[in-house]
Amino acid sequence: MGIIVMNKCKRYLRLYRVLVSQFLKTIMQSKVDFLMGLFGFFFSQIIGIAFLYLVFQQIPSLQGWTLDQLIFIYGFAQIPRGIDHLFTDNIWLVAWRLVVNGDFDRYMLRPMNIFFQVIAEKLQPDAMGELLVGVILVVRSLTRGVLIVDGPHVVLFFVSIFAGALIYTSIKLFFAGLAFWIKISGPFLQVAYQMSDFAKYPTEIYARGIRFLITWVIPFAFVAYLPASFFLKAGTSAMIIGIECGIAVLFWCIAYAVFERGTHVYESAGN
Amino acid sequence: MIKVDHISKDFISPKKYPGLKGAVKGLFSSEKTVKTAVDDISFTIQKGEIVGYIGSNGAGKSTTIKMMTGILTPTRGECTVAGIDPNKRRKENAQNIGVVFGQRTQLWWDLPLSESFTILKEIYNVSDDDYAERMEFLNRVLELQEFFDRPVRTLSLGQRMRADLGAALLHNPKVLYLDEPTIGLDLVVKDNIREAIKEINEKYQTTVILTTHDIGDIEELCSRIIIIDEGKKIYDGSLTELKDIYGTKREVSMEIKQPEKVKELHFARLFGVEEEDCRSEFDKENSVLCVTFDKHKIQAPQVLSAVMDVAEVTDVQIQETELAEIVREIYHHGVIER
Repeated sequence: MGIIVMNKCKRYLRLYRVLVSQFLKTIMQSKVDFLMGLFGFFFSQIIGIAFLYLVFQQIPSLQGWTLDQLIFIYGFAQIPRGIDHLFTDNIWLVAWRLVVNGDFDRYMLRPMNIFFQVIAEKLQPDAMGELLVGVILVVRSLTRGVLIVDGPHVVLFFVSIFAGALIYTSIKLFFAGLAFWIKISGPFLQVAYQMSDFAKYPTEIYARGIRFLITWVIPFAFVAYLPASFFLKAGTSAMIIGIECGIAVLFWCIAYAVFERGTHVYESAGN
Repeated sequence: MIKVDHISKDFISPKKYPGLKGAVKGLFSSEKTVKTAVDDISFTIQKGEIVGYIGSNGAGKSTTIKMMTGILTPTRGECTVAGIDPNKRRKENAQNIGVVFGQRTQLWWDLPLSESFTILKEIYNVSDDDYAERMEFLNRVLELQEFFDRPVRTLSLGQRMRADLGAALLHNPKVLYLDEPTIGLDLVVKDNIREAIKEINEKYQTTVILTTHDIGDIEELCSRIIIIDEGKKIYDGSLTELKDIYGTKREVSMEIKQPEKVKELHFARLFGVEEEDCRSEFDKENSVLCVTFDKHKIQAPQVLSAVMDVAEVTDVQIQETELAEIVREIYHHGVIER
């Protein structure tokens, strides 16, 4: 049993390498696009941080958070977002195009897992902008001494990033999966995804309704602010990372089940 | 090899009403319209058969194929391909089949064709030896080497079709599905593609199912045809049998020197048959006589000798009803009585 699973993993890793390298060959043919995307995202990140500074020139602290802490929350939020963005961006295409125009057929015809095929078809280099900014801001926070640095915190930092990325992916997959019933689910996905912008700031600043929504319905609070508060010297318990992982697994199972069910109601498109 | 057992596919869509008012009404109504694209179809196909699956646009051809390939899940009934239910064990089935959809490529558009084959080799787990053997064969019948290093998007339609066919065959599938494989191709390329399909079928005993509007494809390739109309199977049998049942009309055209003498002839009365079983007609210049008759009741030589008895014939042409005409008539009238 174990050997079978391992062989399967090996095979999929190998396929992933082959498929992604084909994708990279394709985009290398248009280097300009690649660099523009990278630059664009970096630029929008700089604007985001500038905005934070601007706000703090008016008010020195926000719900008890200092600027240094807020910058960590902001930077930390970028990392799981960037990872998800880098690896699973093709999910958007399912929501907008592939189901409605019947191109999804090609995934159904190949002897590979369908979700795997969707994500292996593309990497999103734009995500490097987010990752870069995220890492820079986290490193900056380290030098500012706002973080708790010890063994458990470092390990949980990486666990949290992984769980956060999985939450992002699950939310995208869930809304993209709706396309199998409604043909185009892009608009819904877009709205849901934009909720993640709220998560870059402490959730206490929002009205209760929104707070509830981004904590429990579309749980973006768990990919950024809530776990980030654990790494800051804010007295949050490690439980929060446990809950984050629980939510990640739960949402992944729901999203994957919806997507899987969707492939069975897929109607393709006439010629 | 393939067993299709009473499968149906319904497409359910919200009921639509005309106009802007209707669009608003449609938003609030929960009425649904059900369209049965495939209605209770069954058939069995043996290993090595080449079967033409034909029907007019929207008759349900593609829907059936998509159910057999595992793209669509049947609403009712089931099918097995090489012993596997494609909807329950999609991945295993995918390893057994090759698919070419004429209007869609499954190649990597921006990359050289050779890259597509490298990827497919990995995807289908084709060993190096098999790959070499298969490529040698495909190069021979499809002449892929001509454009093997060119990006797929730069290929002509004919080249792309050859490439797609090759790509579908790389893993030596047991069943090959071809949806409109010759659509939009010129005659020479069509011929090449048909030759290739024949050779593949002979060499590897590949079962081939093809949908087409091109009667030539059917006449050249298919030993058996299945015709469907409005989702129902209306014919399943050999091509010759179909021609026998439906293509009973035969036509003889004769160029005649003294047309006025022939005009007095009354063919139906002469052969003792019904008026509709034998008709005659002159063309506008009054020089060519065209007699259409039921080939089961009258033989062409009878007609000829009857005419030659009274007048001098300078040229003769005998025409069988073309398959295209039969098919057209079937689409028009629906079910064939058997």
